[in-house]
Amino acid sequence: MSVMSPIAPPPMRRLTVAQGDSLASSDPDVVFTTVLGSCVAVCLHDGRAGVGGMNHFLLAEPRPIAGEDARLLNRYGVHSMELLINAMLKRGAIRRNLKARIYGGATMRQGLGEIGNTNIQFARRFLSSENIEILGENVAGTSARRVEFRPVAGLSRCKTVSKQPVEQIIKIPPPPGGDVELF
Amino acid sequence: MSRRILTVDDSPSMRMLLRAALTEQGFTVFEAEDGVDALEKLEEATPDLVITDINMPRMDGFGLIEALRSGDVQSGLPILVLTTEASDEKKARARSAGATGWIVKPFDREKLGAAIRRVLH
Repeated sequence: MSVMSPIAPPPMRRLTVAQGDSLASSDPDVVFTTVLGSCVAVCLHDGRAGVGGMNHFLLAEPRPIAGEDARLLNRYGVHSMELLINAMLKRGAIRRNLKARIYGGATMRQGLGEIGNTNIQFARRFLSSENIEILGENVAGTSARRVEFRPVAGLSRCKTVSKQPVEQIIKIPPPPGGDVELF
Repeated sequence: MSRRILTVDDSPSMRMLLRAALTEQGFTVFEAEDGVDALEKLEEATPDLVITDINMPRMDGFGLIEALRSGDVQSGLPILVLTTEASDEKKARARSAGATGWIVKPFDREKLGAAIRRVLH
């Protein structure tokens, strides 16, 4: 006698989005996952194209910034968002169909409250100026978050995690681009 | 006389960054959101130089370069590509289409200004 067993669905492929990454996918079996402290992750989704993406960035230093440093951070943030949007457009997304969710930006240590807030404010400002609707946010507070995002379905899940991640407050990264080649 | 630059990028944030960086260096800036928009604004802007992104809706940067190079009036107009693309293949394609130079984002304000001044003189 044979026993019929249900066929187990294939496991989802979990891709970790590390700080500095911008990943997009149109694979229904992919789940993006990340852990955020002061960092912010923006999840973008085009429901018509079935494409989604997530980035993970940290723009501030633990001190007030102004002048050229602030402009450098702004350029770096815009760059991170542009990499994410371009990765999605390459997979068939259309800019005007993009919807966003923002996660992270917590205050992980006393005295570092501005870092998370700076990142949240940047994400909001960028999405507003690009006319990308923000569907939801889970930001600020004092707890780290684990975020999972299914890029094709556009479904996200955000849980606060009691065990705080080891998050490095990195210095302003030097922009990787800027190279000029005249033909 | 202030030199006129037409920036072409579908990201308002990127256009804003470029406008700030270029006006600060004495250039007059006009903006277009893609290749089609750039061609429509060409007469009004009468630019001395075009800075264009590659990935844009309606008409991308390659299409814009080809369109500009196909017209007699604009045949000598310098065109700098400013892009997140890093592939040699795309760079070669831009070059063969007639681009004047290739700059990788995120741009450095001083390097960008120096490249523009070099191309315009």
